[in-house]
Amino acid sequence: MNFKPIIVLNKRLFRQNRGRNLAAVTAIALTTLMFTTLFVLSQSMKKNLIEMAFRQTGYDAQISIKHITAEDAEKIAAHPDAAEVGQSMVAGLGMGDALAGRQVEIRWADESYAEHSFAEPTTGKMPEAEQEIALDTIVLDRLGIPHELGQKVTLEWIADFAEEQNRVSEFTLCGFWEGNESSYASFAWVDKEFAQKAAGDAVYEIVNRPAEGIAADHVWTEPTAEEKTGTGEDKETEDMTGDTAISTAAPSSRIAGQYMAQVTLYDDRNMEAMMDHILEDTGLSGLAYSVNLAYDPEMNRMAAQENLSLYLGMILVFAAGFLIIYNIFQISVTKDIQFYGKCKTLGMTARQLKKLIYGQAGMLCLIGIPAGMLSGYLLGAVLVPVFLQGRFASVSASPLIFIGSALFAAATVLISCMRPARMAGKASPMEALRYNDVQGGTSSFNRAGKKASSHAGLSALAWSGLGRNKKRTVTVICSLTLGLTLMSTFYAKNAAFDMEKYLSELTLSDYQIDDATNEDYIRGYNPSGDTLSAALREQVESLEGLEGYGYLYSHEAEISLTEQTIANLQNFYTEEKLKFWGSYDPEGPLALREAIAQKRAASVVYGVDGIVLDAWCGEEHLLDGSYDAAQFTAGGYTLAVASAGEEGEKPGTASVGEEVVIEGNAYTVMAVLDNWNPATEGAREETAVNGTENEFYLNFILPAEVFRENWRENTPRKLFFNVEDACIESAGEMLEAYSLETGVSLPVTSRASMMDQYERETRSFAVMGNMISLVISLVGVLNFVNSMVTSIVSRRKEFAMMQSVGMTKKQLCGLLVREGLDYAFLTLLITYAASALAVGVGVRKMVEGGFTTFRFTLLPLVICTPILLLAAALIPYLCFRNIEKDSLVDRLRTEG
Amino acid sequence: MEVIVKATGLKKYYGKGEALVKALDGVDLEIERGKFTAIVGTSGSGKSTLLNMLGGLDVPSEGSVQIGGQELSRLNSEQATIFRRKQIGFIFQNYNLIPVLTVWENIIFPITLDGRKPDEKFIMEIVQFLGLESRLDTLPNNLSGGQQQRVAIARALASKPSLILADEPTGNLDSRTSGDVVGSLKVTSAQFRQSIVMITHNPEIAAQADRIIRIEDGKIVTTFGKAGQ
Repeated sequence: MNFKPIIVLNKRLFRQNRGRNLAAVTAIALTTLMFTTLFVLSQSMKKNLIEMAFRQTGYDAQISIKHITAEDAEKIAAHPDAAEVGQSMVAGLGMGDALAGRQVEIRWADESYAEHSFAEPTTGKMPEAEQEIALDTIVLDRLGIPHELGQKVTLEWIADFAEEQNRVSEFTLCGFWEGNESSYASFAWVDKEFAQKAAGDAVYEIVNRPAEGIAADHVWTEPTAEEKTGTGEDKETEDMTGDTAISTAAPSSRIAGQYMAQVTLYDDRNMEAMMDHILEDTGLSGLAYSVNLAYDPEMNRMAAQENLSLYLGMILVFAAGFLIIYNIFQISVTKDIQFYGKCKTLGMTARQLKKLIYGQAGMLCLIGIPAGMLSGYLLGAVLVPVFLQGRFASVSASPLIFIGSALFAAATVLISCMRPARMAGKASPMEALRYNDVQGGTSSFNRAGKKASSHAGLSALAWSGLGRNKKRTVTVICSLTLGLTLMSTFYAKNAAFDMEKYLSELTLSDYQIDDATNEDYIRGYNPSGDTLSAALREQVESLEGLEGYGYLYSHEAEISLTEQTIANLQNFYTEEKLKFWGSYDPEGPLALREAIAQKRAASVVYGVDGIVLDAWCGEEHLLDGSYDAAQFTAGGYTLAVASAGEEGEKPGTASVGEEVVIEGNAYTVMAVLDNWNPATEGAREETAVNGTENEFYLNFILPAEVFRENWRENTPRKLFFNVEDACIESAGEMLEAYSLETGVSLPVTSRASMMDQYERETRSFAVMGNMISLVISLVGVLNFVNSMVTSIVSRRKEFAMMQSVGMTKKQLCGLLVREGLDYAFLTLLITYAASALAVGVGVRKMVEGGFTTFRFTLLPLVICTPILLLAAALIPYLCFRNIEKDSLVDRLRTEG
Repeated sequence: MEVIVKATGLKKYYGKGEALVKALDGVDLEIERGKFTAIVGTSGSGKSTLLNMLGGLDVPSEGSVQIGGQELSRLNSEQATIFRRKQIGFIFQNYNLIPVLTVWENIIFPITLDGRKPDEKFIMEIVQFLGLESRLDTLPNNLSGGQQQRVAIARALASKPSLILADEPTGNLDSRTSGDVVGSLKVTSAQFRQSIVMITHNPEIAAQADRIIRIEDGKIVTTFGKAGQ
């Protein structure tokens, strides 16, 4: 028999300390759970962020070439440094009411191109025979075709923007895949012959775009940052479509025949140098290409930023874990200090004693960490989809998560055990013989005793109970304060969010219906579109519970700039502003300079009435001048639209009182309004056709009536309306019914859907914040319970002695409850102070600006107060009931 | 005669000023190898303090203790612990058995702590002599007081220490059992040429010692020896 004293002792002691083990395993498991959850989230966030960027750029190859010939693509494919080359040829664009608002590119592509474009059929195959087609589910749903192979697909399409009449083709569905809303367009794969036929005999002319054009493709305008606030979506869509979208800068209106390629390289680094090298070797130097923005190093930086709050969470988790595990071991070692002294007398060295403590910790970890990892992973798996709802979400199962969280949890336990282990190692055989549950030797015991005896009251005795082990009291109070303060902070921060403020930035009415071409960035807005048909307008205007409505028209014109306007522009656009502007839109400042030089600019003239006019002319949108509704609607006046600058800065547009001539009619500028997104968001007018891209715009507002007189052909671009709260649903149903009936899909934005979207996007942080603070609070409560229980159990004999000299059960029970309540009161006092400070100073600062209205609230704390007090009274009572089970004599006789 | 323990000018003071307590106040003592020494004295006279000093469990305020030529004050606490488990066997009034270990495990505990392999044949001899052979797998709490003290004796003897320090080993035992325990202790120590220093209140037990030392107020007042002196 080979007897290993430390190991055997370790096992037996472990079996003996069931209460402590339960507390410790729970604490370790909770700590691990929090670490794992945070790791799962941070890993998944990063993974999903990159995945999302791929989906937005539309492909995951490194290089995209928009214009190339099939022969040149083959040359690149033959180069040893090109891992894979995918090829595609455009046949046309999907048309028709059912597809309105969604760009559908009809193309031939090889498997590689489809795969790297996330558009590989998951059911069925790519088209091989003529009249076969593969579609995504978005297009299938729009066309009302069931997700089944062999279905007949009738598609309206064009091969040239100049085509007056849509072509109609019949296909058979040979494959489909899950569509992705965040992608700029859907692909409709057809066979190569179809594409070639569409391209006709005309050879598509390849024009290498100038160098600046390439540079423009590389510009990254932080789309996710904008997406988070929900604004600026237009810009993102424009930029993200740059790489693989059908070219809008083509010399003709022709779509069909454009040949594209995607190149996958072996390495993500030095992609440009590598590509240049390949082009040089193949004799294609100068061929324009773009690098996938998803590979931008910026992506990693952004992922790191998104993870920052998670790292902060880890620090908090460590703190909470430390506070409780330390406390559990400290209590355990204190309780067993006599035992350790005994072991030392028998020849156990300090090192062996420490081994014993770490051994115990290790065994607790062996149970607690796997339990925590499992539950943490499950929790993370539940939370990730919540976090990334609406986006592409997948849960990372990288081993890094488990290794990381196990290491972090083990490190927390190890660090927590260091002091208790040292204390056990220092246990002197002599002290062990007279050790009491008192910290710092006899002096504090005397102090506590003196205080108690001089007051001779139960309350003083109870209070002295807290002073008995100050370190433990401090640990428990810190633990509870941490959790509760965190909870209050998160709550206050969430409560500060002002939905009204947020929504007013995004939408101005309960419902908004746009013309289908409003956001058509490829072909541009069609000013005589028919989405907002007379029939629809009539239905909306006669809606039940309608509170108000308003129309917005738009027309593009050219205006000449007055000297005054030019001076205003030069004043407003300082070098600094231009530099910043140029950093995300290099063409912008150039266009401005050109406009000033030519003394003319493009202009979007808006015609607005009803609630749009009322809302836009509100005080918060007024940059200069003052608005008089009666005077304005009477005619002869216009409102200028300009970017908001610094407070009190003169806007960069025509001055108030100046005369502006728009297509022959003169209007006096009454006031200047800011560029309000819900009103102005949308595409330029058919830019590809009339070639007005990259111009500087100065926009103006006219009353709708005046507008209609001037441009009789124009149909409404946007319709806004409010209905009574009770009728919101029925209004939505009406719109849906209209859509079904007429087969026209309506681009509707509703306040309710905006609210939903916001909640989905931010639920993640609310959920995580609340979960972590809840678990940390739970850990605090566990710590509190553990401390109370052990402190009472370890004083069994002392209580028995008190009872033996005449203390009644009632008095003793009262003493213990009193002690618990003192604990709770002290904790609450400190927590209220800390939370008030955190909320009043920290949160107030944090939510400054943004869509928030700060309100001082400690609601979670107020809710927790009675719970904590109840627990503080109940636990000692239950413990007392438990020790009362043994007879007085038994308790007096027990050791310790 | 070979001297196993040598204490010179041992003092142990607690507190300061008026509260100063002189637990030991200048003790000089030599103990010969193989002898049985009894320490007697009233409660609080300093007997236990002296014994703890001799075993290196406590550190004197002044003076020095040498065991087998090793000056204890020169050892740090870790070295002192290791020295103690090799050289000294302790027997306490409350037995100091580890409740979670069986009788056998308790006996070999200090030896295994030292990383040595227990001499099983030798230990079995002691166990048989002390009548514990049927109790080896029992936990201490299931034994009577006398049996527990015999386990403590077996443990003290198992590592073949040159010195056995016993603090009232019979204090919790009835007189018959006390006689048995001391008898067995005497016989085994004689067999293995071990020195015993034992604190006792029991005059009958003291009478069996080779030498009796009486302590009062931290000082040795009389030394009475059977064999010479």
